[in-house]
Amino acid sequence: MMTKLKIPVGPHHPLLKEPISFLLTVEGERVLESSMRLGYVHRGIERLCQERTYVQAVHLIERICGICSHVHSTTYCHAVETLLGLEVPLRAHYIRALLCELERIHSHLLWLGVLAKNIGLDTVFMYTWRDREIVLDIMEDLSGGRVSHAINVIGGVKIDLDQKMMDIIIEKLEELAPKLTIALGLFENEPTVSLRTQGIGVITKEEATRHCVVGPIARASGVDIDVRRDVPRPPYDRLEFNVVTHTDGDVWARTLVRIMETRESHRLIQQIISQLPSGDIAVKAKRRVPPGEVVCRFEAPRGELFYYIRSDGSDQPARIKIRTPTIPALSTLPDQLREVNLADVPVILSGVDLCIACADR
Amino acid sequence: MMDIIADVMKSLFNLLIFPGFAFLLFCSWVFDWLDRKIIARFQGRVGPPWYQPVADFIKLLGKEDVMPIGSQTFVALLLPVISLASVLTASLYVPVAGYSALSFEGDFIVVLFLLSIPTLAYFLAGWVSVGVYSILGGNRSLLQYFSYEVPFMLALSGPAIMGGSWQIGQIVSVQNNLGWFIFFQPLGFVLALIGLIGKLKRDPLDIPKAKSEIVAGPLTEFTGRKLALWHMTINMQTVVGMFLLVSLFLGNAQALHDIFGVLVFIVKVLILLSLLSTASSLFARLRIDQLAGFAWKILVPLSLLQLAFIILMGV
Amino acid sequence: MELNWLQDILQKVECVGPVDIRRLPEDETWVVIPFDKVFDFVKYIMEDDSTWHLSAITGQDTGSQIELLYHFWLGHGLTLCTRLAYENPQIKSITALIPGAAFYEREAAEMLGIGFTELKDKSFLLLPDAWGKGWPLRKEKKEKHDD
Repeated sequence: MMTKLKIPVGPHHPLLKEPISFLLTVEGERVLESSMRLGYVHRGIERLCQERTYVQAVHLIERICGICSHVHSTTYCHAVETLLGLEVPLRAHYIRALLCELERIHSHLLWLGVLAKNIGLDTVFMYTWRDREIVLDIMEDLSGGRVSHAINVIGGVKIDLDQKMMDIIIEKLEELAPKLTIALGLFENEPTVSLRTQGIGVITKEEATRHCVVGPIARASGVDIDVRRDVPRPPYDRLEFNVVTHTDGDVWARTLVRIMETRESHRLIQQIISQLPSGDIAVKAKRRVPPGEVVCRFEAPRGELFYYIRSDGSDQPARIKIRTPTIPALSTLPDQLREVNLADVPVILSGVDLCIACADR
Repeated sequence: MMDIIADVMKSLFNLLIFPGFAFLLFCSWVFDWLDRKIIARFQGRVGPPWYQPVADFIKLLGKEDVMPIGSQTFVALLLPVISLASVLTASLYVPVAGYSALSFEGDFIVVLFLLSIPTLAYFLAGWVSVGVYSILGGNRSLLQYFSYEVPFMLALSGPAIMGGSWQIGQIVSVQNNLGWFIFFQPLGFVLALIGLIGKLKRDPLDIPKAKSEIVAGPLTEFTGRKLALWHMTINMQTVVGMFLLVSLFLGNAQALHDIFGVLVFIVKVLILLSLLSTASSLFARLRIDQLAGFAWKILVPLSLLQLAFIILMGV
Repeated sequence: MELNWLQDILQKVECVGPVDIRRLPEDETWVVIPFDKVFDFVKYIMEDDSTWHLSAITGQDTGSQIELLYHFWLGHGLTLCTRLAYENPQIKSITALIPGAAFYEREAAEMLGIGFTELKDKSFLLLPDAWGKGWPLRKEKKEKHDD
């Protein structure tokens, strides 16, 4: 009978990019159970937004998360525009969607590198992060920032695209497409990778529904949800794309789902650029928002992003509720980290694609 | 009287200069740099400059030497020293370009034994430094030792059987007449290479010091001089291991007598180094239970097969 | 959202009296029900519709009472609103039906002081362990905590 050790993973650990604390009870090489503690980067954003005007809150909302900052501000601005009853120009919707999809590609490539590093395959980490630079260059040309864009205002967007920019985007993404094919082939066929990721961290379809999991994790377990298709709004109601699902529910399935979603995003960007309508990019918005409530859902790289905003007629929001997609994923972790090998813990944690800044707000 | 002095001078030269401490230190730095450069090129990076290993060593010497409360600092200092001593002793018997400082019948077994001492010291290092990650890493290093050591020893026995001697110098000389052993036992060479990767705890068999799981394994709590000594030991173990493999499988006894032989030796060693670095870049890290299964179910039977083949061929 | 379907469930949980049903933007239906009927309502939603999904549980302080909102996605949005008193608000937890609701309820509990009966793990989710008294999202807080 071996003694039980309590191993801390976090808040500082080479495995984690953001602070979160796990305490694993380990016997030999087997993890018996785990406990989790969040809140290391809780900044109280929901409360802070109530003390700022709607316009000031945009800057705060963008800084909830580094890697999905644009989709946060898009959802917020869309919700406030709905409360104001604004008719946002179609061109603005398309530009917002363009950056959403670019962000999705960026997030998935980053995640792929992190997964590869955590299973010891440093070479793939270097390659995917080098390919990610292509996307970052595009975003920097578009908005001036590699990771944080700040292009959303209440009423539309701040930047515009000209023909030259659109050609550059298409050209650079063509460079990226064959590398994605290589990555897909690698993860499907390389034997050491499948040894480490197949059958690890399995979430069945029933468990995924009961834990309210969203995003690629749910889709890899066979739950067919995607806000882009389920909530028809421009421009996604005019674009053609597939919702990628898989049935295995393990880390390998999630990897495949994410890589194929990256290709779908590439297709979407090509359609967006070709269908980009002309027109204004923003309308003027009033400072005071009429009283009312709104619920707004968008598809972030990690799943369904949910905003609920209540307005009481002043220029400050009465309540902003943000539910980020990482939170239900975190609630599946105690189940996933029970009776596994210690060496599988990095794989499981990477498979869940943690974005702790989003979860803590 | 003069020959006693000459003897002592020669021994000192062997111990300290060639093929002793200074030569090994120089080689270990060069090999470390080449290894990192090759891996970097595989990964699409530039890699470190030539003085990087020297700079790392000097930097570590200047760092503060702390250990957690409850750990046994004296033992923790002794362990890398003992490992270094055993690796240096082993280097005296392993031929470098056909020249070995000392040699006797049975030194092959002594060398293998001496090269196993660092692994046990590594495990003990995890044990004496109080810390969860260190203990786990120590356990894993022993588990890994039990997995790769048997196929490694079996694979290395192949050249010994074919050479008809337990003296490394003899095995090398036989290859002058018969030809390089790698052509007769390619499977044994591959198995010996895998075993060497496991012994040196390189990717993909760096399970005891898996960075994303147990931070740095047994050496997590080591800092400063002690860590510098450990790195020196591991690098020198790499060099000695590669010299051993080159002698056993690609041997050439007269190499040191002409410049062409020396160059050929250097080329052989570099090819071996590139094989090790390539393996490091290409594979993901295995789990310890997967390694144990792989070692005992596949590697051991293959090594026994290779041995049987050699014995039958010799008959 | 079929109004008949909603009326059916309201009948099943025995909701008496006029019920406040509204339409919110972005295809959301808003229903106000008493707090003791929430658990059964959720149970009937799960039985009736196999593709249910709980998006979030929002707690808010409207100035006059504490409101708890359960946001569902059933192909269209459905928000259940229930109102609780300021002093000692208590409601039965739905984690027996939906384990994933635990995180949302813990956050509502620590931010607004709502007591969820039958919630197994009541520890703080986001606030530090050394947090003193006070609920950050309640409007009655006038003084600033420095933490």
